[in-house]
Amino acid sequence: MRYRSVIDMHVVNRMQAFGWPPVVGALSLLLVLAIGAIVGSQGPDARAGMYEGMTWNGAIFAVLGPMIGYGFTSMGQYFPLALGLGLTRREFATGVSLVFLGNAAVYSAVITFGKIIEVATGGFGLQIRFFDVFYTGTGPAWQTLVQTFLLILGVLFLGAAITAAYLRFGQPFLWIAGAVLSMLAVAILAGIVLLDGFGRGLLELLTMSWGPWMAVIAVIGAASAGIWLLLVRRTQTR
Amino acid sequence: MTAVQTRSLTKHFRDVAAIDGVDLDLDEGRVHGLLGRNGAGKTTLMKLLTGQVFATSGQMRVLGEAPVENASVLARTCFIQESQKYPDGFRPRDVLRIAEGLYPAWDRELARELIGEFRLPEKRPIAKLSRGQLSAVGIILGLASRAPVTFFDEPYLGLDAVARRLFFDRLLADFAEHPRTVILSTHHIDEVSNLLEHVVLLDGGRVVIDAEAEELQAAAIEVSGRAEEVREFVGDADLLHLQEIGALATAAVHADRGRAERARAAGLQVAPVSLQNYIVHRTNTAVEQTAAIS
Repeated sequence: MRYRSVIDMHVVNRMQAFGWPPVVGALSLLLVLAIGAIVGSQGPDARAGMYEGMTWNGAIFAVLGPMIGYGFTSMGQYFPLALGLGLTRREFATGVSLVFLGNAAVYSAVITFGKIIEVATGGFGLQIRFFDVFYTGTGPAWQTLVQTFLLILGVLFLGAAITAAYLRFGQPFLWIAGAVLSMLAVAILAGIVLLDGFGRGLLELLTMSWGPWMAVIAVIGAASAGIWLLLVRRTQTR
Repeated sequence: MTAVQTRSLTKHFRDVAAIDGVDLDLDEGRVHGLLGRNGAGKTTLMKLLTGQVFATSGQMRVLGEAPVENASVLARTCFIQESQKYPDGFRPRDVLRIAEGLYPAWDRELARELIGEFRLPEKRPIAKLSRGQLSAVGIILGLASRAPVTFFDEPYLGLDAVARRLFFDRLLADFAEHPRTVILSTHHIDEVSNLLEHVVLLDGGRVVIDAEAEELQAAAIEVSGRAEEVREFVGDADLLHLQEIGALATAAVHADRGRAERARAAGLQVAPVSLQNYIVHRTNTAVEQTAAIS
């Protein structure tokens, strides 16, 4: 049960764990509501256009964004302390996995609840979109729950895996990862410019239906979690 | 019983051997000094024994078991390292609260007393503590944990003389009341010489000395007088150090049987060599021998 200490470590900074995400999320929602009120005052056409355009509203990342950093912080800041206090890597991994699962469950539930209210009230009476957007899923509420859960969990494990790889392999990992990603970007760009049908095929791939997309996110998350678990067993403190 | 045992323990960082074939047996219930220059391998050895880094080869046992990923051993082991990193926003009270949940023999009362004695601002973020206050966090954790094996790696960096004395006094008092194995790495050898029962000197990742502290404190004498007489007296003795200033000289030699008496008979002044000076001389000798070989 010593893994509970790992969970304790993650909630020591209560403002960071429980305070800032809802505060920043609420401020972001208020801003979107203000925009909705201003644009809505221009008439029904403007309101309809805004509703359509806000499908791509990224304001929800005010809530999702800190999650991206959370994975990095867990491995970068809590891992050395955990080992310093005599926890095993297995105990640390168990504790962090529970923290990640808890975060994904709570935030996906909050976002889904927000979406249900948003849809039921016609965008809080202002035809705005904050929770019911592309990134969280514009389908039924259960899809939003699944999508945000997988997205948050995947991102958390990805951040932890990247930091674990950095701790394990040091600066060369960053250089090699950067070079590989750059080459991939150049290869895709070259494919679009030089190969007939490549761009169209890529667009079809990117606009595939919800189910395959969830499978992709789940695979990325599972692979990240697997790599992280593999690396954390061999990671040494510096 | 042996608290710590290593056999041919080796740790390489790329082509550098931080620990090179170390064989050690540290008895339970004693205060061991782990001494050596910066980079001698003290911290690496402690990190190996607490499973923070992995050995390249060799064996190690702590409290009779392999320590790596062994919760039963690590729950009875406390490692206070001077370079311990703490997460942003953590305060001393947060660290101590979490530690309390991890060490079964944690003494909350002792922790409270020590916080007061070290005047530690427990609600101030650790990032804003002075170096000495940061050291106090480690010392309080190490003492209050009452772990059967406690490693202190340079625990008092930045502490003033009063606080250092407080640490030694508290360690001695608590050790007398709750005997356990303490492995203390330090550069302030003379300050802890009365505390140490056994000494391990590392140099270049190898064990140079593995002996009782009492034995080492009587291991050498310092003779001084006219340079010519000192040189003549030293002769073929096992010389540790010779310093000449003008017509006078001082030499540190191993205290073989009757050597002190012979020095006095030769009209030389004789003084004991402190543990710190002995360690310095032995380290320098080891360095010279290594240089001569290479």
